[in-house]
Amino acid sequence: MSGVNLKKIVKAYGAVQVVHGIDLNVAEKEFVVLVGPSGCGKSTTLRMIAGLEEITGGDLTIHGKRMNRVAPKDRDVAMVFQNYALYPHLNVADNMAFGLRIRKMPKDQIKTTISDVAEVLGLTEYLERRPADLSGGQRQRVAMGRAIVRHPKVFLFDEPLSNLDAKLRTQMRAEIKRLHNRLGVTSVYVTHDQVEAMTLADRIVVMNNGAIEQIGTPMELFNNPANVFVASFLGSPPMNQVKGTLTETGAKIGDIELKLPYPINGNAGRDVVVGIRPEHVTLAEGPQTTAMPISLDLVEPLGSEALLHARFGEATLVFKAETQGDIEHLSGVTQVHVPGDLVKLFDAETGRALQLGA
Amino acid sequence: MMNWNLYSRGDKFFAIVVSILIGMFTVATLYPFIYIAAVSFSSGFAAQAGKVVFMPIDATLEAYGYIITDPQFWLSYRNTFIYTIGGTVMSLVFIIPGAYALSRPQLKGRRYFNLFIAFTMWFNAGLIPFFLNMRDLGLLDSMFGIILGFAVNAFNIILLRNFFEAIPQSFEEAARMDGANDFEVLWKVFMPLSKPAIATITLFCIVSRWNGFFWAMVLLQSEEKIPLQVFLRHTIANLSDNDEFAILQTAAGFSAETVTAAIIVCSIIPVLIVYPFIQKYFEKGILLGGVKE
Repeated sequence: MSGVNLKKIVKAYGAVQVVHGIDLNVAEKEFVVLVGPSGCGKSTTLRMIAGLEEITGGDLTIHGKRMNRVAPKDRDVAMVFQNYALYPHLNVADNMAFGLRIRKMPKDQIKTTISDVAEVLGLTEYLERRPADLSGGQRQRVAMGRAIVRHPKVFLFDEPLSNLDAKLRTQMRAEIKRLHNRLGVTSVYVTHDQVEAMTLADRIVVMNNGAIEQIGTPMELFNNPANVFVASFLGSPPMNQVKGTLTETGAKIGDIELKLPYPINGNAGRDVVVGIRPEHVTLAEGPQTTAMPISLDLVEPLGSEALLHARFGEATLVFKAETQGDIEHLSGVTQVHVPGDLVKLFDAETGRALQLGA
Repeated sequence: MMNWNLYSRGDKFFAIVVSILIGMFTVATLYPFIYIAAVSFSSGFAAQAGKVVFMPIDATLEAYGYIITDPQFWLSYRNTFIYTIGGTVMSLVFIIPGAYALSRPQLKGRRYFNLFIAFTMWFNAGLIPFFLNMRDLGLLDSMFGIILGFAVNAFNIILLRNFFEAIPQSFEEAARMDGANDFEVLWKVFMPLSKPAIATITLFCIVSRWNGFFWAMVLLQSEEKIPLQVFLRHTIANLSDNDEFAILQTAAGFSAETVTAAIIVCSIIPVLIVYPFIQKYFEKGILLGGVKE
């Protein structure tokens, strides 16, 4: 049975449509991440699942039941908000008990539930504290605790980590993942951070302009982006894109011809965008590589690796290179080697991926 | 606080002028209070002769002795308490849910409701239509009429509405996800978060009810229903040209002035008692709408 099912879901504010009929099937116990730039409609979609936004068109079902006109409290979903939305006048225990009291759960049962969840989240010693006396990470945990105590069928997360500093974010990300593995509750998670999406998701849904660009596992999306938007959104730094034209044996970009190890099948002359992942290029020549002359702008050391910012004709490109403990040897780089079997080709007009080698 | 020596000459001059002005204002505000208190404890002769300036002259409690033996004083005192407590409770019952409803974006026609309510702040029907309205509703000379007739105050509703609007929407959304309905959102989330604002409007209601004089005078005829302020007015009017009282006062050592002053002091005391408890909220509350946190 499906956990959450969106069928042709539309959201419009007056005449302005912001979500254009999206279809999404979240399986039971699955962790799905909606990712996309600001204003792509991901939060609106989540809020429609929660019942905080009215659904303009289409059908939403949760565990087989149509939910379009069901109040948020009757959907059996719990949500973690970006700003936590912890009640400042209540202590941690009362914050977590709020929903249980409204649902008239017996007092001793509330107490047991809260202490169990507090233990799971490491909040036992903070139960008497008010949110103002907690750190950002602890508040985040309380917000999750408030969602967990109700044992909902679906968890919704609306950018829950974006108010935390980078270190805490990494830590909490792992905690969310662990929690999901332990509880196995269907989860829909919204973020604009592709690292969060890649690390947490069973499947990622990339959204743009109120529509879904691609759905797939993190590695599927990373290895086979359906279009230039997905290619440019996932991966850090994102995939380099260079305009070119297909030839009989490869792709001509600038003055060079990039050798491709598969047949072009009569597509020669077609305008394409060549996608090169920053981590796929090498400084040393390989068996199927093509040398690409570059003019180096900047070297950014990151520790074990460095980012090389370079120009190739009109295009600005970023590559990753090993530092081997030093970046001296990188400052003189004048060419990189691009492996033809790893580059991606997209139609220059539609931006869709071309499956020539497949 | 910056060291005085670090002030420039202009700043020093400014600070001195401000201090003098504030000092003058403080004296102008406090002096009538001190004067009334001093008169109430003075002898009737001293008060009539205009000898009282700061301290009571020929200190005596005769004026207080006179008013506390007057049953009408206690009756009007009781009435004032009824009007203040009943009126404040009635106001809060209307204002809090009203402000909550007006602050919610999902309220249909919200813009127009807000406009209608704000409209009454600038324009109202005036004395005679209001009087006729109360008469036609059968609320003349009625204690309930006084409590109900002035329950809703546009300024207080707008003040509280603005405070509710400033509460992040995610609190309401979180409560709704937790299963709360509108009443529970208001009662369990918005009201506890709005204590300063509610304390402020409570104080506004208490003070205006306690000091309420004009409408009580216009709408109430029965002596047994009048509040303290109207009783005070009657006392001032009666005592000044009452021969019987003139004989009494000569013998007892109080005068119309000292009795009036004593009633005023008695009427101020309850507000003075309440204020310190509510002051910390009041100071926060008067910033409402001006500062968004």
